[in-house]
Amino acid sequence: MILRRLLGLYGLLFLVFIYAPILLVVVYSFNANTVNMMIWDGFTFDWYRQIFGLETSVTESATYIDSTAQLYASIRTSLVIALSTSALSTVFGTALALAVARYRFRLAGLYRTLLMVPMIMPDIVLGIALLIFFITIGMNLSMLTIIIGQSTFLISYVFVTVSARLAEFDTSVEEASADLGATPGQTFRKVTLPGIAPGVMGGWLLAFIISMDDLVITYFIAGTGNTTLPIHIWGMLRRGIKPEINAIATLMLLFTILIAGIGLYLRSRRQK
Amino acid sequence: MSLARRKLLSLIALLGGPTLFLLVFFFCPLLIMVIYSFLEPGLYGGVVWNFFHLNYGRILGWADTRYEKFDPVFLMIFLRSIRLAGLTVLTSLLISYPAAFWIARMRPARRDFTIFLVTLPFFVSLIVRLFAWVLILRPTGFLNQGLMGLGLTRAPVEFLYTDFAVILGMTYVFIPFMFLPLYGAIEKLDMAQIEASADLGATRVQTFVKVILPATTPGILGGAIITFIPALGNFIVPSVLGGAKVLMIGNLIEQQFLSARNWPFGAALSMMVMAAVLVLLVLQLRLARARREVRT
Repeated sequence: MILRRLLGLYGLLFLVFIYAPILLVVVYSFNANTVNMMIWDGFTFDWYRQIFGLETSVTESATYIDSTAQLYASIRTSLVIALSTSALSTVFGTALALAVARYRFRLAGLYRTLLMVPMIMPDIVLGIALLIFFITIGMNLSMLTIIIGQSTFLISYVFVTVSARLAEFDTSVEEASADLGATPGQTFRKVTLPGIAPGVMGGWLLAFIISMDDLVITYFIAGTGNTTLPIHIWGMLRRGIKPEINAIATLMLLFTILIAGIGLYLRSRRQK
Repeated sequence: MSLARRKLLSLIALLGGPTLFLLVFFFCPLLIMVIYSFLEPGLYGGVVWNFFHLNYGRILGWADTRYEKFDPVFLMIFLRSIRLAGLTVLTSLLISYPAAFWIARMRPARRDFTIFLVTLPFFVSLIVRLFAWVLILRPTGFLNQGLMGLGLTRAPVEFLYTDFAVILGMTYVFIPFMFLPLYGAIEKLDMAQIEASADLGATRVQTFVKVILPATTPGILGGAIITFIPALGNFIVPSVLGGAKVLMIGNLIEQQFLSARNWPFGAALSMMVMAAVLVLLVLQLRLARARREVRT
């Protein structure tokens, strides 16, 4: 009994450990103190107003407008990359999962094993391997190289997610469809695809979130001028911490929780 | 067109694109990196296409004094990275183990929600989570304010830019990697066995050491390996929380590529990370096979 109570207490401490740092960022994003951002000095929306370009009086306006423009540019870059990467890796990852799950061929086992490799590969190794490769074949570092680079490992994540869905998906439904005279194309469009749709969506969301947050691989193959949001924030941290980082971080948090929530909703629907 | 033929064609259609993509953009880059690690560094960046083993010599201890000198500092940094990654594994194991137990004992509905709570921070941006720790550990940060407020210290304690900060940061970032495999193993524990052990007169400690620990070893090993791998080559955590004081091999690789422009040497350093990871994976495969043989 005592042991159980202690365990409960420990569990609470564990949750505090996990959430306290994040909550701290949220709370202090409303702190009015401009000198020492860790000393509470009243409630304010100033930092959010700054980010949304509603207020320029708080800091020297010229540098501030410049940094907001950079922030917006980095968000745009991140979104374009994440949308393209997640689309590409979803198509490729789903195709691989379908092939491995639905066709008996000799290499299926090999595919399943080898597709684990990009996930286990330390990201720094993959990042520099891609950098050397792109430079060696004379491909200029651009958004395209980032999209290619991120896709190499995100395909694996989609593959795993869709494969899990395919494994619990009843093949007899597909056979029934074929028996009833549907062409393979019809069976795929009307039976298989709707059946695995939650898995595909889940894989896509996962790829999107990881892509939005990827720092290491992107950092090595970004070249100059392709600053993504994580790289932008990393740069801000290195230049010295300003209070508006709290507000940016809080908005990012909201965004991720929203997407994770959608993913969870899809998963709970799948289980029913 | 026969059915078999059509099946073959659709299989090729499904596999062709992604296979080609991964061959060109995943396996080729790795191959080129291996080749680069055996090439001579050019005088002003770039490479000279000569076989050159001294990139490894410079790290591991042989040298030709006309070229690159052996400097034990590289080996020291590599060993330090192994130590810090190992300590990260240990702390995240110690933190996650009781937590996994706590959740495994819950009622199913509550359990699912708690697991969701534990994994949610994993989706929060890495850089945001690290930034939170900067706020806490800084000289003017939360922790120091608390300590000074309580009168425990008079001057701020240097938490940031220490091994402690790096291990704490990596533990925080990698906890889900450790937690999920552990939870998987603990959830599968056979409660009847634990009760039997208690009925037969074993103390709690004996039950833990002889029944619970062996049964959860696969989870511990799995979690340890997938925590160790990203921790070993990490350079974001040390560069945010370790500053210039705590250098890990990841930072060294970054330097070699982006400032020193000695790509072959950087590639050789990356191969060291790869080698460490491969050794671990082979070890784990062996252990898994040994366990299977014991069971059958």
